Amino acid sequence: MNQANVENLVNKLRYNVKPRRKFGNSDGPEGRLRKFQKTLTALIKYERLELNYRRADETRGYVDQLIFEAIRHGPEHKETMDLANFWILEKQLMHKLFKVLVPRYQNYTTSFTKLHKAPNIYPTIHYDRAILELRGNIYPSVEQYNQYEQNLLHNLLLNAAKKEFRMEKYKEIADNIKQ
Amino acid sequence: MITQDSVQESQNNKKAKQNIEQRKAIPNRYRFIYPEFLPDPDPKYRNLLREKLERMDMLARRTHVAIPEFYVGSVLAVTYSEPHAPGKVNKFVGICIERKGSGLRATCVLRNMVNNQGIEVIYELYDPAIQKIECLRLERRLDSHLRYLRDAPAEYSTFPFDMEPEYLLEGASVPVNEIKVQLNPRPWLEKWERQELKGITELQLPERRIRKAKAAATPWEKYDLMKKYRETIPEEDQNEIFNEVHTKLHEVEITRHRQKHKRAFVRPQKTG
Repeated sequence: MNQANVENLVNKLRYNVKPRRKFGNSDGPEGRLRKFQKTLTALIKYERLELNYRRADETRGYVDQLIFEAIRHGPEHKETMDLANFWILEKQLMHKLFKVLVPRYQNYTTSFTKLHKAPNIYPTIHYDRAILELRGNIYPSVEQYNQYEQNLLHNLLLNAAKKEFRMEKYKEIADNIKQ
Repeated sequence: MITQDSVQESQNNKKAKQNIEQRKAIPNRYRFIYPEFLPDPDPKYRNLLREKLERMDMLARRTHVAIPEFYVGSVLAVTYSEPHAPGKVNKFVGICIERKGSGLRATCVLRNMVNNQGIEVIYELYDPAIQKIECLRLERRLDSHLRYLRDAPAEYSTFPFDMEPEYLLEGASVPVNEIKVQLNPRPWLEKWERQELKGITELQLPERRIRKAKAAATPWEKYDLMKKYRETIPEEDQNEIFNEVHTKLHEVEITRHRQKHKRAFVRPQKTG
């Protein structure tokens, strides 16, 4: 049993955090971080990516934490700047982090990223695929809604029942007024 | 839409204000004074019900035995019952070199020299055999542990058993002792050069050992945000926990403060 490290405070991540994943990498933990550097930079640049599920879910925490740090300390804080400098490979995106993403996410109460499961491509790619995106981006929604939802049989029946109930109520009220 | 937005915004502002108020009520120092109230961050060992029950037990224990504020580097005196000691009570004085564990299993390691031999005792803070814990000198050191005192000369870990408690001024911050310890020549118990210790003087090492230390260094670890996240408890959870124990802890603190200022009655002993 360990004691929690209380030296630096962190914000709570607003999604279900999985235990640390291992990624096969000949460069060890340093190479592991380098993978996430690339994904994180690309995510900040393009705001929506399709990639392997494991890698997307693991990178998600790094993105959220980096934005949390930027919100908490701002660009004047030396350690935060150092962090951003390490994580963001394309340096012009540092401005985007502090000037676009921080104001966008300042009052958010949900996670800053969203992870969708994506279909894997048969028969070439066997791994689970995922779409990772920053919330509040300009693209149309990934989620598809059934536009014929109102025409489903149970919804038709429910609507009819609701309507009938409402008509009965109106009748009751009308009777009360008459008396 | 505009009205909805403004309502949401005002709600957010309210929430932020509430958070700030909460933070004021719970002092920021609590996480340093009572680190054992925070559970083990490893999700393998998390159990919300057990943690809550443990906190209740810890508070109950604290109402009987005052566990003072102390840090790694403070000098403590622990009085505990021991069946084989004369009078069945024993007292050990030593410097706290390490704090470990969370919940009821929280421990501290005290180190002192007895008969020119280094003695270390691991005390579980919530052990019912402990009768009294006193902090004789309240201070911090530069490092999170002082295990390197095992490889240092005896003078750094020698404290008299009849040491008088030193009192700090009311409301003063905890002083940091910036002493640099000169270690003994090798062999050592651990590879101290790899631990980035601030409280030791520059080490004299052969070329080969320096090269190996450099190869084993992990400079990227400070950027590993999720590693940091997984070895601590997030701020929101900390606030929740300290909110729960705050009033009781505050009460215990006040009673202890009152007792400290009351003069203890010492029965005069007959002489002659």
